[in-house]
Amino acid sequence: MYSPYDFNQSIAHRAEYVEERLKSGMPVVAIAYDEGVLLLTLKKTQRKVFEIYDQLMYCALGNQADVEAVRLASIDFCHAEGFSRSPDDVSIQRLVGFTLSPPLKRAFGDPMTSPNVLRAIFAEIGKKPENDQFFVLNYDGEFSTHSNFAVAGGTEGAEDSMSELLKGFTSTPDLSNAIARAKDAIRAGLAYRKGSDDEDDDDRSNDGNDPLTEALENATFEAAILERNTPRESKFRLLKSEELN
Amino acid sequence: MSLQFNATGDFSRLVSPLTPEIKAPVNASFDTHGTTVIAVKYRDGVLNVADRRATAGMSIMYDKSEKILPLDDHTLVSISGSFAKAIEIARYLRHSFKYYTRSQLQPMSLEGKLAEMTKALVQNIPMALQGIGTFVPVLSAWDEQAGEGKIYFFDPMGARFESSDFGAAGSGSAPIRGSFDYITRTKGPFAEMDLQTALRECLILLDIAADNDAATGGYAKIAPSAKAVTKDGILNLNEGELQRVLDEMQTGNTPQSLNVRAERVEADAPSN
Repeated sequence: MYSPYDFNQSIAHRAEYVEERLKSGMPVVAIAYDEGVLLLTLKKTQRKVFEIYDQLMYCALGNQADVEAVRLASIDFCHAEGFSRSPDDVSIQRLVGFTLSPPLKRAFGDPMTSPNVLRAIFAEIGKKPENDQFFVLNYDGEFSTHSNFAVAGGTEGAEDSMSELLKGFTSTPDLSNAIARAKDAIRAGLAYRKGSDDEDDDDRSNDGNDPLTEALENATFEAAILERNTPRESKFRLLKSEELN
Repeated sequence: MSLQFNATGDFSRLVSPLTPEIKAPVNASFDTHGTTVIAVKYRDGVLNVADRRATAGMSIMYDKSEKILPLDDHTLVSISGSFAKAIEIARYLRHSFKYYTRSQLQPMSLEGKLAEMTKALVQNIPMALQGIGTFVPVLSAWDEQAGEGKIYFFDPMGARFESSDFGAAGSGSAPIRGSFDYITRTKGPFAEMDLQTALRECLILLDIAADNDAATGGYAKIAPSAKAVTKDGILNLNEGELQRVLDEMQTGNTPQSLNVRAERVEADAPSN
């Protein structure tokens, strides 16, 4: 017999399994700037920031296969819809709210499948700055919407410290300011992770080294923008490394 | 149920172009009609010139149709035959190339694009056999690997032919077929001409086609369209300046150098 108790247990175990794997994930930051939106993260080897559709991009931390599955499902939906109706009918709300969230929730609740390990940010550029939007999607199908900025990190604590830092900025940045802010937010996320990693190990937590500098020893920045004022239908552009440093 | 996705990059597994099932009397002729489109290889790529008349039987439906359609930054398709079907296929191919590039994180190869075009034509055979919806494309591309422009023409069954110097399609193409040879024999190959010289020859060819074919639009009111595909992307020849040259040509005086401004067109290959 499968009791409500077992259901709660099973969900809790699955969440624990996923959270454990997300814990060490590299943080992701999205920031709206005067002429577009920016997604920035750190990558080790694999590409992480992806174009989804003309006005949509995506970046996630988690298991590579799950990150890919969500990316491909998103691209499928957007292109089928963009062709059958029109590119204007493709929206971040329809994509995340209706296409991705319900199946993720179903998969999470199904004890016979391996849970998806992923936390993702979707960014959409509107025709006007006030229409720029970010959606953060979680492995259990939960999602939240944001304007100005959005963060995704391995733990709630890391996300909180990133959000706290970004809330401190009130002006709309230009691209280079947005990159600087995003890097600071990444540093804040990494600092939280370093602090909590070292709870049992006092040697490292106060070693005074910059957690971002440490992370950059075996990772590099990866970032992309959606540009509002490009004549192209496709607004996406990966930033070159010289634009990031 | 978990997330479903298509890992192949094959857009036709998601959607297909609108294809009505019409049980009309079979009229198995592949006559194409109502157009002249010309493609020639010039020094820096491939130039396409097309009239802008859309016809239905004896009626002129529209005199401003655009028959040279960019599929991406390195591919142009010029269409003849059923306008509705051709536009739908071009829209499908644009989405299909974008879909492939974004999902597979690499651009589709030129061979892959040609195969997609063949597939679209093969799917269209039932409509073509019913005497409606036949379209015949001429595809011009910049071949990155070979470092040169390429011209391919197709028959309505989907067969693909590569043309070494020039290609033309539509009802107005037959009357000017020999003129291409005349030009290459008397003035040298198109491949040695610069853009303005090649444009001049193509405008004259199109004028002759319009003189000989009722379904090809002349210059009197609307300038034809002209686009080129090059290493650096798609170029559009400025319509206003084309009109100026054509007005001059109407007086029987074709200038030696046209000086029509060529502007870069963003044809939207995704930037992965």
